[in-house]
Amino acid sequence: MTTYTICVFTENTFGLLNKITVIFTRRRINIESLTVSETERQGVSRYTITIKHDKREEVEKLVRQIRKVVEVLAVFGYLDDEIVYNEIALFKVATPIGGKPIDIETINKIYKAWVVYWGLDYVVIEKAGNENEILDFFRYIKSYGILEFVKSGRVAVGKTPAGLVEYLPEEVHWEYYV
Amino acid sequence: MGNYMTMVAAQDAAALEEVQTPAQTEAPRILSGAQALMESLIAEGTEVIFGYPGGAIMPTYDALFDYTDRLDHILVRHEQGAGHAAQGYARTSGKPGVCLVTSGPGGTNLVTPIADAIIDCTPLVCIIGQVKSTLLGTDAFQETDIIGVTTPVCKWNYQITNADDVPAIIAKAFYIAKSGKPGPVVIDFTRDAQVSPMTKPYEYKKVETLASYKPRVIPKDEHLERAAQLINNAQRPYVLFGQGVLISGAEEELKAFAEKTDIPCASTLLGLSAMPIDHPNYVGWLGMHGNYGPNVLTTQADVVIAIGMRFDDRVTGDATKYIRQAKVIHIEIDPAEIDKIIKADAPVVGDAKETLKRLLPLVKQNNHAAWRNEFKKYDLIEEQKITQRELTPEGQIKMAEVVNMLSEKTNGEACVIADVGQHQMIAARYYKFKNPRSYIASGGLGTMGFAIPAAFGAKKGAPEREVVAFIGDGCFQMTIQELGTIAQSGLPVKLIILNNNYLGMVRQWQQLFFEKRYSFVELQNPDFVTIAKGFGIAGHTCSDRENLGESLNRLLQSDKPYLLEVMVEKEENVFPMVPAGAAVADIRLD
Repeated sequence: MTTYTICVFTENTFGLLNKITVIFTRRRINIESLTVSETERQGVSRYTITIKHDKREEVEKLVRQIRKVVEVLAVFGYLDDEIVYNEIALFKVATPIGGKPIDIETINKIYKAWVVYWGLDYVVIEKAGNENEILDFFRYIKSYGILEFVKSGRVAVGKTPAGLVEYLPEEVHWEYYV
Repeated sequence: MGNYMTMVAAQDAAALEEVQTPAQTEAPRILSGAQALMESLIAEGTEVIFGYPGGAIMPTYDALFDYTDRLDHILVRHEQGAGHAAQGYARTSGKPGVCLVTSGPGGTNLVTPIADAIIDCTPLVCIIGQVKSTLLGTDAFQETDIIGVTTPVCKWNYQITNADDVPAIIAKAFYIAKSGKPGPVVIDFTRDAQVSPMTKPYEYKKVETLASYKPRVIPKDEHLERAAQLINNAQRPYVLFGQGVLISGAEEELKAFAEKTDIPCASTLLGLSAMPIDHPNYVGWLGMHGNYGPNVLTTQADVVIAIGMRFDDRVTGDATKYIRQAKVIHIEIDPAEIDKIIKADAPVVGDAKETLKRLLPLVKQNNHAAWRNEFKKYDLIEEQKITQRELTPEGQIKMAEVVNMLSEKTNGEACVIADVGQHQMIAARYYKFKNPRSYIASGGLGTMGFAIPAAFGAKKGAPEREVVAFIGDGCFQMTIQELGTIAQSGLPVKLIILNNNYLGMVRQWQQLFFEKRYSFVELQNPDFVTIAKGFGIAGHTCSDRENLGESLNRLLQSDKPYLLEVMVEKEENVFPMVPAGAAVADIRLD
């Protein structure tokens, strides 16, 4: 199974998430992760969807089907080496009095993770990275007692010098988001 | 219930008072959302609405009451009928069919025609009432999430909650429905948006382009050149064309292309009638019950030119064994169809008409008489083994005889509507189409009950044509109530029931593939002629061969709607047949 990252650029309208996900559901393709956000251009949303599939051909067909949704402006399907990508994870770790103290230096220097909140008996550590880096940190921090763990979907940008606006229809003047 | 309705009506009356009625106004006119819808439909050239009123769409029906001089409305008996009628209208007229129904069950009853229209590329604009926007999500009376329900089966949908949005959204809806690969669009119209006045003067601007949706009509030059090169070097080129030819109006371009290159052309089920049956380059139709030669010779072609068709599994049989030896040129407006089933060596994304027009000067004048003659050998076998037996049988009347005789009596010029099943295939096999847009059936979805409503819709779209529907006894009972619509509208459609007291196609499969275990396929039918009479439609039954000609004359001579029931052989099978999942080369003749 190969991981594919599908980036979908759409007009920001009601119900679009449903219009996109039904295309996956109908073909029995499971969405591994999904992130939606506004882009740098006003009114344009970006969906980053990761899936696992063993047939590239089928993924290409899927991409073309997504392109058919009227509000979709552009769709790209990427392999991992074609993108720069990351996820972000938050770990709520127990730090009871008398417990094993956490090693901030290792966390910062080795794992490039940061304590973003100090609670009375716990800390919240933020770790950004790819799936493996987050997993590595998970294994390391596990022995301290994870109270909660949450991970975002993947965000990705293509390894090309092109900007988003080059993929958007030319006749529209795309204003910056802010 | 009564109180509720009165209360709602009172609220509407108050809201409507704010709206100036069109007759009294001087510019600028302020319209209600419902009035804006009427104006928008007229601006798009809508002639007729197929619909059924109900609670959430009542303000729109109230507005329609003032527009009956400009908008015809046909009151169906069930919303499914409205959808199929609009499909019939769209398929004969080439214009989007318009449906108007209420929320909840009104909308869900329309889902089958919407699903039918998306798979058969039929442009529909379906306006569905919705509870008022403040009630959305509250499980209000007749509230259904119709946007959620229709999303997987429509080309586009949108919920209008603000009267101001009506003109722009209707313009967008029509543009999306009819452009590119046509399809159904759904407008979910909340009651408050129908009732409330627009906050700005009504103004209508047709949509001609959208930022996010740009179907490629004109193909790329390099694609055309690659295709032309393959065609010019081919020894046994073969055209497979589909409904795309009819949708884009490319009938003349196809003929010109076929005549110049001398390539044999075969049709899909929905492409039927795009080329006249007697055209020298026309060799027959493709698929599960299509002609023998056209199916088998797909294995001999060296270049296949697919035009406006999508390699449906009923055409390809086992797609992994289909046209493997051939180079494939796929001319198609929808890029998602390219490589979906059959890998294209030379894809040409574009409208069939525009593509063929541009391809014509690039292809060489040619002569493929020897190759075309190969089809004739197979035709002869099919003629001897099947056609003769079907057309000159003994014993009970066969469906093929009826279709053949009707074809002769109408000189191949009628618009034939077929329902779904054996009679659909027989109608496709034996009617000798002369003019385009003459075979209208539910192809992709195979919706039983399609024919009665599609017939009067088709007649509305082409009033000058003779419209004859072939309907099985099973199908007839799925939308039998639409006889009421036919009677009320007076549309002179001709209905022929080919009655074998069976769900014939399922029975055929049970006989051939399920060891003749006839599981729930025999029907105890009502007296159809009496039922028609009850609706006010004349008709009679024919069970003898001697009376068949006279029976068809009576049907055709009637200037009113007419029902002819023909009792046909009970256990007749349709051949040739490519068994499901088999390769087309394994086509069976008996």
